[in-house]
Amino acid sequence: MSVIKTENICKNFGSLQVLKNVSLTVEQGEVVVIIGPSGAGKSTYLRSLNRLEKLQNGKIYVNDELMEDRINGKNHSPITKKRREELLLDMGMVFQRFNLFPHKTALENVMLAPMHVKGMKEAEAKAKATELLERVGLGDKLDSYPAKLSGGQQQRVAIARALAMDPKVMLFDEPTSALDPELVGDVLKVMKDLAASGMTMIIVTHEIGFAREVADKIVFMYDGAILEEGTAEQVFNNPKNERTKQFLDSVL
Amino acid sequence: MDAIVNGFNQIVGWMPALLQSTWVTLLLSVLSVLAGLIFSVFLALGKISKNKVISGISSAYIFFFRGTPLLMQLFFIYYTLPQLVPALNISDRFTAAWLAFTLNVAAYLAEIIRAAIQSIDKGQMEASRALGLTYRQAMRLVIIPQSIKRMVPPICNEFVMVLKDTSLVSIIALTDLTYQTKIIASNKSSALVYVPAMIIYLIMTGVFTYFFNKLEKKLSVYE
Repeated sequence: MSVIKTENICKNFGSLQVLKNVSLTVEQGEVVVIIGPSGAGKSTYLRSLNRLEKLQNGKIYVNDELMEDRINGKNHSPITKKRREELLLDMGMVFQRFNLFPHKTALENVMLAPMHVKGMKEAEAKAKATELLERVGLGDKLDSYPAKLSGGQQQRVAIARALAMDPKVMLFDEPTSALDPELVGDVLKVMKDLAASGMTMIIVTHEIGFAREVADKIVFMYDGAILEEGTAEQVFNNPKNERTKQFLDSVL
Repeated sequence: MDAIVNGFNQIVGWMPALLQSTWVTLLLSVLSVLAGLIFSVFLALGKISKNKVISGISSAYIFFFRGTPLLMQLFFIYYTLPQLVPALNISDRFTAAWLAFTLNVAAYLAEIIRAAIQSIDKGQMEASRALGLTYRQAMRLVIIPQSIKRMVPPICNEFVMVLKDTSLVSIIALTDLTYQTKIIASNKSSALVYVPAMIIYLIMTGVFTYFFNKLEKKLSVYE
């Protein structure tokens, strides 16, 4: 069963075409890493999955249900708004700039959505948030405000916050790009543990070493299109496309 | 020396009347800002609404009340409105002044609130939506609480402006501090009364500024 499937999705910013017929299938438990140069449309693709970007054309299936069916910007999907909101909850997202809520403590950041979206009782939400923060190695920072945490710690809180909604798939939008180099490792470790636990993940990253280690599938995007996809072995060791070779030469 | 003692005694004699009118000034300012604040939240949310009609009406309201003199608005409500619509005859001067100030200050506060809300990083709304919060929940739980701290200093400014602008109500003969001062000045033919009056204004604005600064510090606890 595929968790996420996109068919020919297209997106323009004005006259600039940033996504050109992007089709990709992500199976249950699969870790997909999207690589490619800046401006290739990687982040836009990820953001369009949970509707942070509106598409012009194409289909998005979530758990094999047609969530988006856009033709010239209009959605023809048969599902109700309520059902769409439910499907969107299956996706957790982690942002490059963390986007923690600065007026809430680490614990409150993680508790907020379960309480207000799922109606979870405070005690239950607190227990769950505590457990998740311990899992990402921040059991001693429960009552800290984001401003008092390092970038790596903030990003781990953000991961815990997304996990608190029990998503079926986690979207990572360059989760380590805004971090100081010495803080990257802690975040990648949490992501590796998450991958090992069987979570379905779609990751946009420039960490090639990490990609090689955890990815079931590598997707290379260039100029709004997928040029190549395959296992890490195939893409990194035997790239077929000339652009992929150039890109890998420049980053490795 | 005698002149100074004499002047001091005169001022002491005027104090009961001055303080009584100070109460009117204070009450008018506080009530106007409180009512204006409530109204302005709706105006601000209206102006940033995606609904074109709602945002158009809010924008037009703000444009009108910021684009015409407060003194004219005061005249309009006290004199013109009863003439146009007899049912809207507000004979009580305080109520008329309060209405005019509330309507006016709401427009200014709405712009302060809108600017504060829009100054919050858009990543906050994205993170909220990605977590499944509705737009309204995101506003109520995430965006507005963060923007409040940014609103406090300009709202303090606005309050101090209103406190001073209430002196305009002397024009419709509402006995505020300024009007009382004018009465004393002409009855006793002594312009000395303007000195204690100005000091009273200064004490009021000083005290409020002090407490607003404290509030601002308290709100910045998470930074």
